[in-house]
Amino acid sequence: MTTEAPRSSLVRNALVALTILGAAGTALVYVCEGPARFWANWLVWTLFLLTVGLGNLFLVALERLVGAHWSVPMRRVPERIASLIPLAIPLLIIAFFGVPVLFPWTHAEAAHNPILVAKAPWLNLPFFAIRLAACALVWLLFYSFYVRGSLRQDQSKDAAFTVKARKLAPLFMVVFFFSVTIVAFDWISGLEPEWYSDMFGVYLFAGTFLSGIAGMALGVLGLIRRGRLPDVKPKHFYNLGTLGLAFTVFYAYIGFAQYMLIWYANLPEEVVWFKHRIEGAWYPVAMLLPLFHFLLPFFLLIGAVGKKNPKILRIAMVSILFAHFVDLYWLVFPVLGAQPLFGWPELAMACLFLGLGLLQIRRAMGRGADMPVGDPLLAKGLEWQL
Amino acid sequence: MSSTTTTATFAVLGLYSDAQKIVDAAKQIRPRKLGRLEAYTPYPVHGLDKAVGLPPSPLGKLVLGMGLLGTILALLLEWWTSAVDYPLVVGGKALFSWQAFVPVMFEVTVLFATFTAGLAMLFAFNKLPFFGHPVLHSKAIKGITRDKLALSIESTGATFDPEVARQALIENGAESVEIVPIPAWDRPLSLVGLLRTIAAIAAACLVAGAGLFAAEKMIPVVPPMLHMHNQPKLNAFRSSTFFADGRGMRPAVAGTVARGHLPPAFATPEEAGTMLANPLPLTQKTAERGRKVFNDHCAVCHGTVGDGVALLSHAYGAKPGNLLSNEMRARPDGYIYGVLMLGKNAMPSYAPDLDEADRWAAVHYVRVLQRSQNAKDEDLR
Amino acid sequence: MKSAAAELPVPLQPLELIEGMVTPGSLDDQVLQFPDRRPPRAWYFALAVTLTALGIGGFCMAYTLYYGIGAWGNNRPVAWGFGIINFVFWVGIGHAGTLISAILFLFRARWRNAIARFAEAMTIFAVMCAGIFPVLHTGRPWFAYWLFPYPNERGIWVNFRSPLVWDVFAVSTYFSVSLVFWYLGLVPDFASMRDRTAEGIRKRIYTVLSLGWRGAASHWVHYDKAYLLLAGLATGLVISVHSVVSFDFAVSLVPGWHMTIFPPYFVAGAIFAGFAMVVIVLTVVRKTMNLSNLITDNHLDTMNKLILAMSCIMGYAYFMEGGTAWYSANPYIQHTFKNYVSGFYGWAGITTVTCNIIIPQLFWFRRMRRSIPAMIFVALAVTLGMWMERFVIIVISLHQDYLPSSWHLYIPTKIDFGILLGSFGLFFTLVLLFARVMPVIATSEMKASLPGAQAGHGGGHE
Repeated sequence: MTTEAPRSSLVRNALVALTILGAAGTALVYVCEGPARFWANWLVWTLFLLTVGLGNLFLVALERLVGAHWSVPMRRVPERIASLIPLAIPLLIIAFFGVPVLFPWTHAEAAHNPILVAKAPWLNLPFFAIRLAACALVWLLFYSFYVRGSLRQDQSKDAAFTVKARKLAPLFMVVFFFSVTIVAFDWISGLEPEWYSDMFGVYLFAGTFLSGIAGMALGVLGLIRRGRLPDVKPKHFYNLGTLGLAFTVFYAYIGFAQYMLIWYANLPEEVVWFKHRIEGAWYPVAMLLPLFHFLLPFFLLIGAVGKKNPKILRIAMVSILFAHFVDLYWLVFPVLGAQPLFGWPELAMACLFLGLGLLQIRRAMGRGADMPVGDPLLAKGLEWQL
Repeated sequence: MSSTTTTATFAVLGLYSDAQKIVDAAKQIRPRKLGRLEAYTPYPVHGLDKAVGLPPSPLGKLVLGMGLLGTILALLLEWWTSAVDYPLVVGGKALFSWQAFVPVMFEVTVLFATFTAGLAMLFAFNKLPFFGHPVLHSKAIKGITRDKLALSIESTGATFDPEVARQALIENGAESVEIVPIPAWDRPLSLVGLLRTIAAIAAACLVAGAGLFAAEKMIPVVPPMLHMHNQPKLNAFRSSTFFADGRGMRPAVAGTVARGHLPPAFATPEEAGTMLANPLPLTQKTAERGRKVFNDHCAVCHGTVGDGVALLSHAYGAKPGNLLSNEMRARPDGYIYGVLMLGKNAMPSYAPDLDEADRWAAVHYVRVLQRSQNAKDEDLR
Repeated sequence: MKSAAAELPVPLQPLELIEGMVTPGSLDDQVLQFPDRRPPRAWYFALAVTLTALGIGGFCMAYTLYYGIGAWGNNRPVAWGFGIINFVFWVGIGHAGTLISAILFLFRARWRNAIARFAEAMTIFAVMCAGIFPVLHTGRPWFAYWLFPYPNERGIWVNFRSPLVWDVFAVSTYFSVSLVFWYLGLVPDFASMRDRTAEGIRKRIYTVLSLGWRGAASHWVHYDKAYLLLAGLATGLVISVHSVVSFDFAVSLVPGWHMTIFPPYFVAGAIFAGFAMVVIVLTVVRKTMNLSNLITDNHLDTMNKLILAMSCIMGYAYFMEGGTAWYSANPYIQHTFKNYVSGFYGWAGITTVTCNIIIPQLFWFRRMRRSIPAMIFVALAVTLGMWMERFVIIVISLHQDYLPSSWHLYIPTKIDFGILLGSFGLFFTLVLLFARVMPVIATSEMKASLPGAQAGHGGGHE
């Protein structure tokens, strides 16, 4: 690591410069383009960072829940990427100030809309804030427990932590599912508050899980390329390809099921949400999703070759992450209008958030050992056979 | 254990109980090229396939290809039946509603892929069923399917030396060795067996098909399938034991009026004469219509010219009225209409038979007849 | 290797999946003895009971065929009653078998080996039971072949836009695929039985069924690949089949039916119900057939954990359904959901929630997961709860939907109950016959995971 010092500080400086440039651009966006576009970008990026972070934390907890060994040598990577959570939470809290701008149920006309009046016990700012605070709290608690606990275990080598981590995993799952559902309903479907789909929480979960896998895989492959994970072999990250394939299919299944059911019954109150997202200028954006979120990763990962070959695995995972971002953009931006907006404001704010996110991950990559050396299951994980 | 064979040797089997030993033995023996190397085990031993020199199975690509073929065929079937051959708008959706076609496409993909995987694996790659393989008739087979792992050096021709093979196996830890001869009798090739099986299945399908066809012809006429043919309900014109008059159909309740046939406002033809006037203008067309109506309905009693002399004049002891009489000529149009509607003496009401236009057209025609039989000289000029 | 395992604290140690000493030979002797032996008297007694139930069901089915669907309680608007409830129930039960067999195989969960064969068999039997109902509920089942798209003299085709047609494809594909998967797994075991049996009719039957399998390494290569591919395909199929079944409801406009979460909700419910049935059957089988050293307490413990996990997922789904019903501000949906827990059929909704969500929470406690009476109690509750859930969804939603003038209660008839009883009779008859005649544990798969079975590293645990 020390031999990389000059190069690493060059990268760090570049990222910092990118972030500062992005911050300046972001301020300009607010002033020149107006609050709506500013907040829409802010929301999409915050959700992206949050879901990638949550997806990685979920993978950490999932490993504990099922007692898997193959992922233990790689587990430090998702623990580090989960550091996006403590970054995303303040960003989400700031986004709360954009809620009155973007969300129609906060506007004055909502008081005259009988549907929104009926939903007011849920869709009101105080309760929204309470839900936000509750989610943030539990995310931080579990992040602290799983990630800081794992880092501490590097030194203490105390097996009791692993036992406790396994015991708490089911509780984490319950909390995770409900909090992701709250994010989906509060922050995304609430943009069109008359619409409802009880699958929506599962839909966001699918994207979150997939982006977690993608982030983890890219992180693992990146560290291997830098020689920092010499004991992690293709047999270990093969399963990341398998999970990527399985959940690509799962995402496509959930997305298609939601779409097809709404298409079939053709109820106006449900169809309007899709109309806003697949008609006119939004159609090409919508078409990016089946292509990059399903077809490309599916055919790349379906053979045994794709799962063992780092190059192919990398392309598939980048495709998934890209598609996840497009998904969030496609979910949120139609609130701004029938034209998908993409210009310097989006690029400027991308610089800011990408810079922040990458800096956060980079910082995390320096924390602790590259493998969870204190974990009693590490040895079994290293010698695990396909 | 080993028998001196006068017949050719098929293979020499070395039996092991330990997986590590057989893998090591295979690795040692393979480079010596003593014959074709094979192994027979009750369960798949990891690493043994590589040690014996077997390439990985190409089944995956075949299955993927056949699966995709299934997808395309299903899509074509659904598209053609729904949008081309019998286009039917269902639920207001487009004829080619791909969203609705996806589930069947998925299922057919899996169906094709599965049967490819199963059947290709058995028939194409493993050439099973095959009951004539020499190892099946060896002494070792009982152990092979139970708990013994057998490494087999199989004969590749004249250069094969069973003794050298036997030595090699014993050197490499075999617990026992068996020399498996090629059976004396000539078993039919598995390909022929396969063809026989296919022929048998085809024959069975034919028989089953013929049976189903016969059943399909016969089944509908056997109870309970027959039940919907003879339903316990009254159809039109059936007799009934339920009603007193023995008829299934009930007459209309007294006073029932058919649509468009409300009872007329007048009680007698005279009253009709004072109340009504002919609403139709007298035109060529009206008159011709009236002629048709008259000839169809009236001429049979009143005669073609309306004088009361006709085919049925004397048949029933009735005397149809002479429409050309002075009295009739003096009656107003409404009177003729009234007689038509109410009937008179033996003449029934023709109201149900004729609609309004026909009735008034007939009245016009009666007037035409009256004029024609009492024409003045000027009419002819 | 061994030292790594020895250092682990107890909760982290791998589960012992085999009790005592088991060798491939002893495995064969233990499992494959049954087709050669006379079954105990209890087996005959059980068969008599199940055949009686089947007989009653058969009579009721014949009655239905003869007199028509009027013998059932179906009416307007509740045009779907026990027929569809039982269909969905049985198809769901089949899914656990495929999950254990296929999905757990993909995850390389070795604990599945001892139970996969029985679970697969249960899948096939459950799908057979399920298939009775759509065929019977057509009213004229002798025309059932009309459901398939073939060129016909009527000049028409099936309506591919209807989920009922998707069902035809899904369930028939599911049955065929499960059969292929099950049979392929049986081939090496039939070979074992062929070589154990003395000459005679039985040996001939096993010879034919085993297709001449000889365990050649060159065959295992293709066999393993086929098995892996089939496991992957069956996994996709399981999810798609019950999703297609859920589409029967979700594509409609009936309040309470048109909820987008139905596909994964139904799949989770199916796995849930299926696992309960597997637990019920296996607790009895392992006792009566002395297989407790192979189907260990650890196996049951793990299955019960899965039941608990599924129960939590069902809880999430119920919460989302009710929550979204409120959130939708749609009075018809809200009325239906109120009817789920109150009104004439409210007891059904309460039973469902109690049996599916509350009772399985017992499995948070290790003692409950490892106690036979507790797990049978929970499994029976889940079976009842899942049947009741389908009753709730179908009958309660239908009996009072949009137009009050159409509202009408649904009262099932004795024939309805008779056929339901008969389906259980059929299922358990087939289970009993299977246990009598075929290898109930996949011996070849088990042998591959015994300690010392593989070169290089041992097996015997997950």
